[in-house]
Amino acid sequence: MKRGRTGRIVSSILILLISLLILFPFLWILSSSFKKQVDIIASPPRIFSFAPVVTNYIRVFAEQNFPKYFMNSAVVGAVSVAASLLLGLPAAYSIARFRQQRLSVFILVARLMPGISFLMPWYIIFSRLKLMDTYVALILSHMLIVLPVVVWVMSSYFRSIPIEIDESAMVDGATRQRTLASLILPLSGPGIVTATTLSFIFSWNNFMFSQVLSMEKTRTLPIAVYNFVSYAEVDWGAVMAAAVAIMTPAIILTMIFQKYVVQGLTLGAVKG
Amino acid sequence: MAKTGFIDRHFQILAPLPAAIFVVVMIIFPVAYTLFLSFTNWNLTSGNPLQVVALRSYARVLAEPRFLAAFARTFLFTLLAVGAETVIGTALAVLLRRKFVGKGLVKLLLLLPLVAAPVAIGICWNLFYDPNIGLANHMLKLLGLGTLKWVYDAGTVIPSLAIVDIWQWTPMITLIVMAGLAGLSPEPFESAHVDGATEAQILWRVTLPMVLPTIFTAMVLRSIDGLKTFDIIYAMTGGGPGYASETLNIMAFKYSFEYFRMGQSSVVLVFLFLVVLLFSLGIIRLQRISER
Amino acid sequence: MKRKALVLLLVVLAAGLVGAQATEIRVLLANHPYGELLKAAIPEFEQATGIKVNVESLQESQLTTKLTTEFATSSSSVDVFMTRPLQEGKMFYKNGWYAPLAGFDFSDFPKNAMNAANFGTKSYLVPLVTEWEVLYYRKDLLKKAGIRPPTTFVELEAAAKKLNDPATGIVGFASRGKGAAAVTQMSSYVYNYGGLYLDNGKAVFDAKPSMDAIRYYGRMLANYGPQGSTSLSWENIMPLFQAGKVAMWTDASVFYGQIVDPAKSQIPADAVGIATFPAGPKTNTPYIVVSWGMAMAKQSKNKDAALKFLTWATSKDLAKRGMLANITMARSSVWSDPEILAKMNKDLVDSRAFAAKNGFPYDRPYMSAVGEARDRIGEVVIASINSAGAAADLDKKAKDMAAKVNELLEDTGEAGQ
Repeated sequence: MKRGRTGRIVSSILILLISLLILFPFLWILSSSFKKQVDIIASPPRIFSFAPVVTNYIRVFAEQNFPKYFMNSAVVGAVSVAASLLLGLPAAYSIARFRQQRLSVFILVARLMPGISFLMPWYIIFSRLKLMDTYVALILSHMLIVLPVVVWVMSSYFRSIPIEIDESAMVDGATRQRTLASLILPLSGPGIVTATTLSFIFSWNNFMFSQVLSMEKTRTLPIAVYNFVSYAEVDWGAVMAAAVAIMTPAIILTMIFQKYVVQGLTLGAVKG
Repeated sequence: MAKTGFIDRHFQILAPLPAAIFVVVMIIFPVAYTLFLSFTNWNLTSGNPLQVVALRSYARVLAEPRFLAAFARTFLFTLLAVGAETVIGTALAVLLRRKFVGKGLVKLLLLLPLVAAPVAIGICWNLFYDPNIGLANHMLKLLGLGTLKWVYDAGTVIPSLAIVDIWQWTPMITLIVMAGLAGLSPEPFESAHVDGATEAQILWRVTLPMVLPTIFTAMVLRSIDGLKTFDIIYAMTGGGPGYASETLNIMAFKYSFEYFRMGQSSVVLVFLFLVVLLFSLGIIRLQRISER
Repeated sequence: MKRKALVLLLVVLAAGLVGAQATEIRVLLANHPYGELLKAAIPEFEQATGIKVNVESLQESQLTTKLTTEFATSSSSVDVFMTRPLQEGKMFYKNGWYAPLAGFDFSDFPKNAMNAANFGTKSYLVPLVTEWEVLYYRKDLLKKAGIRPPTTFVELEAAAKKLNDPATGIVGFASRGKGAAAVTQMSSYVYNYGGLYLDNGKAVFDAKPSMDAIRYYGRMLANYGPQGSTSLSWENIMPLFQAGKVAMWTDASVFYGQIVDPAKSQIPADAVGIATFPAGPKTNTPYIVVSWGMAMAKQSKNKDAALKFLTWATSKDLAKRGMLANITMARSSVWSDPEILAKMNKDLVDSRAFAAKNGFPYDRPYMSAVGEARDRIGEVVIASINSAGAAADLDKKAKDMAAKVNELLEDTGEAGQ
C-alpha cells in the first residue's frame, strides 16, 4: 500500500511535468497572439511584462475570409473522415480476421508516396475533369491521407479483440457484416475514437494538396496562416493568432466528433 | 443453420474492395507519372521538351554527393525522432493509464501539438531557438550553462529539429497506445496480481508485451511520416544551414520547384518511396516476430 | 487624383464596351503590400468594366509552385499574375508562359527596369516595384561612438569594429549569410569591388575582384556579425535590429517601414538612419532591381479582359497610390511627384536617386537556372563566413562552384550569352 502511494505521487509529478512541456510552446504561441510584434521579439524576452492587444485577432478575422476557410476545412474534414470510415472499417475488419497482410500494406502504400508526387498528376486529372476548386477534389485527396490511417489503426485494434466473440455470434447465425456492425464496432470505441481523431486532424492540417487543388472558393484554413507571411514582412502576431484560430476549432470539433462516434456505437449495440 | 448471404460468403473480397479500388484509382496515375518522369530529362529551365533518357537521370542523381548525404540524413533524423517518440510516447501512455483528476484535460492537451499549424510552429520555434534573442539560450544562460546555436548551425540542426518533431508527434503515439491499453482484457492483470507480482513486474512482463503490437502499429505509422517529414524542416530551415538539414523530401521539393529539374526530382521521389517502403516492411516484419 | 482615376476607368470602360461580355478572369497575386493594395481596389475595376476578378494571393515560393504546376501541365486557368523577373523571368519566357505585350505603353519605365522585361525585341511583363540596397544604421549608436555614417567599405569595417560590443550584446554589422538568400545582398559588395557574378554568359565570381568582395563579406560577418550568420536572412535579422541588437545592417530598401514602426520595433524612428550603400575600392554601383512585375499568361483564354486588368493594375494612378502607401514603385513619374516625395523619407528617396543614377539592374546571376546557381554561390559565401574569409581552399571552392554554374549555363543553352 505504501508503495502504491509514492508511486502515485511520482506519476502525478511526472504527468504535471510532461503537461507543462507539451503546453510550453503552445502557451508561447497563445501569449504571442496577444502581443504587439515589438513585444514578441523583445530581448530580453518579455514573458509577462507586456500590454496585451487584440489587434492580431482583428486582423485575422476581419481581413481574411475566415468563416469561409473554416467552413471549407470543416466540410472537407468531416466528409473525408466519414467516407474513410465507411470504406475503411469493413476493410480493416476483413484484414484483421482473414489475415490479409498484403492488402493492408497495399492500402498503406498510398500513404508512403511523398505528397509532391501527387501535385502535378492530380492537377492534370482534376482540371481536365473540371473538378478544380470543388469539394470533391479536396475530399478525394484528403481521403488518400486518411483512409490508410483508419485501416491501419483499426486492423491492429480489431486483431486485439478475441476471435471467440465473432465466432459465438456467427454460431448464433449472425452474418459477418452483422457481427461487425452490431457486435465488434461497439466494442471498438477507443480505437475508433482515436482513428477518427487522428484522421480529422490530418485532414484539418493538410496544406500541400489543398494549396494546389483549391482556388478562391475552397481555400482551407492552413493556407490562411500563410496569408501573413509576406514578401518583406512576417506578421508574427497575426501568424500566432491565425494558428490559435486554427487550433481551437480543431480541438472543439474533435471533441464533438468523439462524443458523436461513441454515441453512434453504443446506439448500434443497443439496437443489435 | 441460418442461410448465409452473398455478402457473407464473399466477405473477405467485398469488404475491402471499395477501399482497395479507391486507392488504386487515386494513385495509379501519379505513380505512373512519377515513374515515367524519372526516366526523362525534363528540365523547365532549358525550355526544351522532355526526352526519354532511360537511366541517365538516375545516374546523375546518384553521382551527386548531396543526394547520398540527404539519404543518410533522412535516416538519421527519423531514427532519432521516431525512436524518442516511441519510447516517450509509450511511457506517457502507461503513465496516463490510471484514472486521475484532470485525465480528460490531459488527453485534450495531448492534441494541441498535433493540431498546431506547421508554419506557426516553425516561426515560434525559430524565434525560441534564435541564438541572439531567443528564449532557449536565455534560459540556458539563466541556468549557468553555455549557449547553443540550435537550428542555426550545421552541427546542431538535426537534433534541434528532432526536438521539435518529438514535441509535435509524441502525443500521436501516446494516443494510439492508450487506445491499445484500454482495449486489453483485465484477466492477465488480475491473475498477475493474485500471483503477487509487483507493479514493475506487471508492467514489464504483462502490460508491455501485450501492447507491443499496438506500439509497433504506432511506430510504423509514425516512421512513414517521419521519413517524409517536410513541413517543419521547410518552415524552419529550408534544408539549411547550407544543406545540413536537407532530407530526401526537402531535396525533391527543391529540385522540383526551385531548380525545376522535374526528371531528377522524380528520381529522388522514387528513391524516397522505396526507402519508406523498405523501412515500413522492416518494422512490420519485426512486429510479426514480436507476435511470436 | 480621383478625377484621374475616373478618367482612366472611363477609358477602360469605353474600350470594354466595344467588345463587351460578362467575363471572368483569374488573377494570382503574391503576399506583397502592392498585392494587398490591388485586392482592396479590385471592386473599382469590376464595377467599371463588368469583368469579374477571381483573385488569389499566395506567399512567394508557393506562388511559384502553383504557377509552375499549372503552366507546366498546360492546364492553367490563370490570366494575370505577379512574377519575379529576375528569379523566374528567363525560365517563364523560355517555356512560353508569358504573353507578349505588343502595343503596351512602357514610356514611363526607366530603361534599366525594362532590361528584365524585354526578351529579344518584345516585352513580356510590366515592372511593378523596385528595390535597391541600402545601409540601415543606428543614428544614436553611431553618434555615441563619434562615427559618421560610413561611405566606403574601409569606413564600414572600422565602424563595425568600433560599434561591436559583446558586453551589451550589440553587433556592429549584420547582413544575410543564409546561402542563396545572401547572394542578392552580397551582389552590391561584389560590384563595388569591380566584380560580377556572370559576364557574357560565363561565371566569373571566382575571379579576383569578386573573391575579394566575398572574403570581405565573410570577414565582416565572422568578426562583427550576429551568431549563426550562415543561417540568417532578412526575417531573422530584422527582429534583431528591431530589438536593438544591430548597429548597421545592409539589405534591400523595402524593410524601412517596419524598423521604424513603434508597434514592431523597440528603436524609436528618429534613431534609425538610411544611408546610400558604401563605395568599394573600385566603384559604387549597388543593385537596383525590379523585384516584382505583372504578366499575362500565354495560355489565357480571356486575353482582352486580362489586358484590361493588367493595364489598370500597372497604371500611373495605382502606382501613385502605392507610393503613398510607402511601396517603392517602378514607374519614373511617381518619383518626381512633389506631393508623394513630401511624404516619403528623404534619405530613402536620396538613396534611390543615387542607385537609379549609378546602380546595376541585377542582384543575382541572370539565368534560367538561377535557383540552383544561387545555392552554389551560397556555398562559397557560407564557406567564407565560416572561416572569416581566410580559408585556404576558398578559391578552389569558388572555382568548383563556378564550374557548376557554367555547367548549368551550358545545359540551358545560355552559355556565352
